[in-house]
Amino acid sequence: MTLKTKLLIIGAGIIGVMTAKFLVDKGFNDIVIVEKKYPGSGGTYRCATGIRASFTSLEHVELMKRSINLWPILSKQHNIPYKRGGYIWLLSRPEHVELFKKIVDFHHKHDIPTKIISPEEIREIVPTIRTDNLLAGVYDPLAGKASCFLSLLNILEYIKKKGVKVIINTPVYKLVTRNHKVVGAMTSKGVIEAEKILVAAGHGSKKILDTIGLDLPLENIPKHALITEAYKPLFDPLLIDWQTSSYIVQVLHGGFLIGANIEEKPNTPPTNRIDYLFLAANIWTKYFPWLPYVRVLRYWTGYYVMTPDHHPVIGPVEEYENLYVATGFSGHGFMMSPAVGEAMANYILGQKQNIPYIENLSPERFTKGKLVKEIAVFG
Amino acid sequence: MDPRKVIVCRCENVSLANIEEAIDKGYTDLESLKRYLRIGMGPCQGRYCLVLTAKILARKTGKKFEELFMPMNRPPLTPIEFKFFMNKSFTKR
Ligand SMILES: Cc1cc2nc3c(=O)[nH]c(=O)nc-3n(C[C@H](O)[C@H](O)[C@H](O)COP(=O)(O)OP(=O)(O)OC[C@H]3O[C@@H](n4cnc5c(N)ncnc54)[C@H](O)[C@@H]3O)c2cc1C
Repeated sequence: MTLKTKLLIIGAGIIGVMTAKFLVDKGFNDIVIVEKKYPGSGGTYRCATGIRASFTSLEHVELMKRSINLWPILSKQHNIPYKRGGYIWLLSRPEHVELFKKIVDFHHKHDIPTKIISPEEIREIVPTIRTDNLLAGVYDPLAGKASCFLSLLNILEYIKKKGVKVIINTPVYKLVTRNHKVVGAMTSKGVIEAEKILVAAGHGSKKILDTIGLDLPLENIPKHALITEAYKPLFDPLLIDWQTSSYIVQVLHGGFLIGANIEEKPNTPPTNRIDYLFLAANIWTKYFPWLPYVRVLRYWTGYYVMTPDHHPVIGPVEEYENLYVATGFSGHGFMMSPAVGEAMANYILGQKQNIPYIENLSPERFTKGKLVKEIAVFG
Repeated sequence: MDPRKVIVCRCENVSLANIEEAIDKGYTDLESLKRYLRIGMGPCQGRYCLVLTAKILARKTGKKFEELFMPMNRPPLTPIEFKFFMNKSFTKR
């Protein structure tokens, strides 16, 4: 196989596919996407589908405000199930309430209407929840959820129709360079030549970038999630138990999805652990008296691709003028994908960015010691 | 028989017609077809429907069944209530 393209995107996850969508919308469609397995097979199909802007850094807040404006538009354009059902942080310790008071102040300065609510108010929004252990909650009404399957598939269908070529079951082994320019990628089916390359390969990004000596500090951390049988809608918000760094969300199809934090070593295989099922059950059956009788359907693990400052690595690579990266989402890549796709399209076309602070997320920040600060990472 | 009345996936109520339409739209790998229609994502976890779907896919695309059918089974394999995991913690021996 010898293929030539203007833009090669490595990885058919939500980031690669969204970037192609924004490019296609601007009339640029000479694009090849190459995917190791099948579209979505990385983090995207394993995600909890949560979407929020209530972070604690300007970079995350601005990126996510843009994303939250784009989600309803994309939902209409591509028939993607999406709902603004909010998020609630559940707080059971006085020091956490104090911390969140500061975070809420920060949000208000940046037009995010979060608020501290009482246990009674939590019960109004989430009927059947037990709040005996709770002191307060933090409600983020702008937050929401979307279908990760249909976000990916419907947009993929759209870009294919517009001429984007998607090659599946084809891993990229290495990048090919000539005179400090990346000129293509070696795959299991031969070389794909490209004028520009975007590495959006999720947990595979580090290995690919290593092949040209670009050492990004990315770590793949195994994360665990389960889903139950589907029920009629019972509550809208995604709930986060701050104490245990665990969340539960009723996905739009009806199943309850639970993610809980267990200690894992970076870069180890994402294996199933039975202790996870006990942990998830013990945390959430205390909140919901009906949960013991709900059945677990499936349990899976996937990677969070983490950076040292828990912010994504987005943008052009200084050393290679035609190479771009978009990875390291540290557990938040699905929610950001509309804004990141739009920003990557701007970078690739050499257009102006409309999201403030986005340049702070460049790959060079690690070598230049300009890390970004964020504390609200969980799960 | 009317393909709209032939149910292939009982958990998610997906008919033969739904599957054929999706394949015609370009969903020609089992993994994408599964996510698009949610075949195999209900309580049976694909035990009844995925083989049938792979067969339909093979017939319509001309690909070999073995090429298409690569299912991933996830624990706990059959639906199990949360109460079995409660109030105890699992420790490795
Ligand atoms: C349990 C869990 C819960 C999560 N919950 C949320 C949430 O609620 N909200 C949220 O916003 N985010 C969440 N995330 C994170 C989110 O899933 C990811 O950040 C997002 O999917 C990343 O998208 P991506 O396109 O960068 O990567 P991926 O979806 O991983 O896509 C990268 C693709 O590249 C392919 N690839 C890898 N190596 C190669 C190679 N060498 N050659 C060719 N292709 C290659 C992979 O097969 C993959 O398909 C969660 C993640 C997990 C694991």
